Amino acid sequence: MTATEPSAVPFSAQRVRGRFSDRAARLASRAALALVVLILATLLLLILREALPALGSALSAEGILRADWAPLADPPRFGLAHAVLSTLMVTTLALALAVPIGFGIGLFAAEFAPAWLRHVLQPCLELLAGIPSVVYGFFGYVTLVAWFERYGGMATGESLLVGGLILAVMVLPFIACTSAESFAAVPRALRESAHSTGVTRVHVVRRILVPMALPGLFAAVALGLGRAVGETLAVLLLAGNSTALPTSYLDRGQPLTALIATELPEAALGTAKYHALYAAGLALILLTVTINSVVWRLKARVMRHGG
Amino acid sequence: MAAEITQAAPAPGFLPLPCGAMRSDRAFTVIAWGVGLVGLVLPLGILGFLLIEGMARLSWAFLTEAPAGFPLGSAGGIAPAILGTLALVAIGLGVALPLGVAGAIGLVEYAPEDSPWVRVMRFGAECLAAVPAIVYGLFGYAVLVVLFRLQISLISGALTLGLMMLPIILIGAEEALRGVERSLREAALSLGVSRFNVVRRVILPKALPGILSVTLLAAGHAAGSAAPVMFTASVAFARGTPALDAPVMTLPSHLYYVVSEGADLEQAYATALVLVVGLLLANGCAALLKRRLAR
Repeated sequence: MTATEPSAVPFSAQRVRGRFSDRAARLASRAALALVVLILATLLLLILREALPALGSALSAEGILRADWAPLADPPRFGLAHAVLSTLMVTTLALALAVPIGFGIGLFAAEFAPAWLRHVLQPCLELLAGIPSVVYGFFGYVTLVAWFERYGGMATGESLLVGGLILAVMVLPFIACTSAESFAAVPRALRESAHSTGVTRVHVVRRILVPMALPGLFAAVALGLGRAVGETLAVLLLAGNSTALPTSYLDRGQPLTALIATELPEAALGTAKYHALYAAGLALILLTVTINSVVWRLKARVMRHGG
Repeated sequence: MAAEITQAAPAPGFLPLPCGAMRSDRAFTVIAWGVGLVGLVLPLGILGFLLIEGMARLSWAFLTEAPAGFPLGSAGGIAPAILGTLALVAIGLGVALPLGVAGAIGLVEYAPEDSPWVRVMRFGAECLAAVPAIVYGLFGYAVLVVLFRLQISLISGALTLGLMMLPIILIGAEEALRGVERSLREAALSLGVSRFNVVRRVILPKALPGILSVTLLAAGHAAGSAAPVMFTASVAFARGTPALDAPVMTLPSHLYYVVSEGADLEQAYATALVLVVGLLLANGCAALLKRRLAR
């Protein structure tokens, strides 16, 4: 018998009930976690399973990577080349516009804006991020598409150009907010000591802020890329939904997401078309997971610098 | 700032900035303000456009009547779409919220801190939160609609949206739970209170605003996305109150159908306005809760 034994008695009497509910709670929360893992694993495996038949011959001339989309040909061909190219073109344009402007807004919010303006800018960007994809599609349809038809001399205003422009607006808040955060995370002392040596603001931004915030800026681009690749409704309404291989930004195109949205309702179960669409979905998953692991790495680096 | 100071009182040994540098500095400031204002004008412009165009076409009847006319949606209202969206999100939340919060409690309270298991879960959840909405639509179609034979129905769509909200809620709830001060948890544990009671009486009440905030964000995100419900729940027209085994109309997919038919956009403006204002309210509440938590 040790000396601590007597004092433990009153506690142990109370603990019995606590222990039971504790065990139950632990079990329940673990079960919930297991269910989450199970559901999510099913999601990946199922899409992989449905995509698999299309992947076997992906690289052959009739495969999803090289053929065109010709469901009415004999035998029908379900190539994704036009969709991959459309996704690439739209995403490139969107990022080419949104990255410089987004970084500019981020820098402005972190360095130039007075406090009151910063408090206005933040909710404004959140507003931009909160508008759903389909409303952007509608907005682009009644503004840009209409203008291109009236003043641009185009038969239909829907084009990869319009899709890319609206997509740029959609990813802008994500890039701006992430870059603003990483600019603001640069230690104050560094910034102030640089300013105190009398160098110009350009110099401080170029030599201090940008190098320090670089991992965060990369993360911002990656985040924007992930958003742009996965957007569906806006490009579905604006890019023109044409299955021809696009040759310029004024052509109509059909990004991967738009292809899935258009064709899935008409794809019979288990057909080559159905599997090709799931292969497109699998490509989207792989892309976002890759992008996310890059962001994950970069974020870890930013945190290490910050801490 | 720096340039002005050196100009006003050049300290001995320091030269005022060369003229070119001053000019580039000033140009830089002007550009930064210009770009910053883009971030202000763009969202306010889009919102203003929707408000002005939408308000003119909005009426009480629009909110309470079913769509009519030919092509469909050129007259009447959007009541079934509002009901459908609310039902989808409510049922989806009914699945995602308990699972997400319970999972987060499991990760924060019942797993050793910074175990590889926790990190893998968090990475997986973040990947899934980033997976495009349309992929959830593909999954919902293959599993719920086809495999489980739920057909295109409210329940299929709600479960699909629930799946989409699950990782967002899991991550947000985990952050909210981790944000509760360590000292509170340790003080309670040191008094001999069981973990379960610590979570129920101390941690959860403290983390509640954060959890509610992320729930609202997730719900708004789900309510606004048409891609996951296009193959699982929505139809161009449905009448009456939503039923679990019947397809429904939703606001975003209704807007999509009306625009893609392209015939008459009058009603589309008002539909877009209703959708955006609803989501802004949800997001605004979420932001308020978050700010209250930060204080």
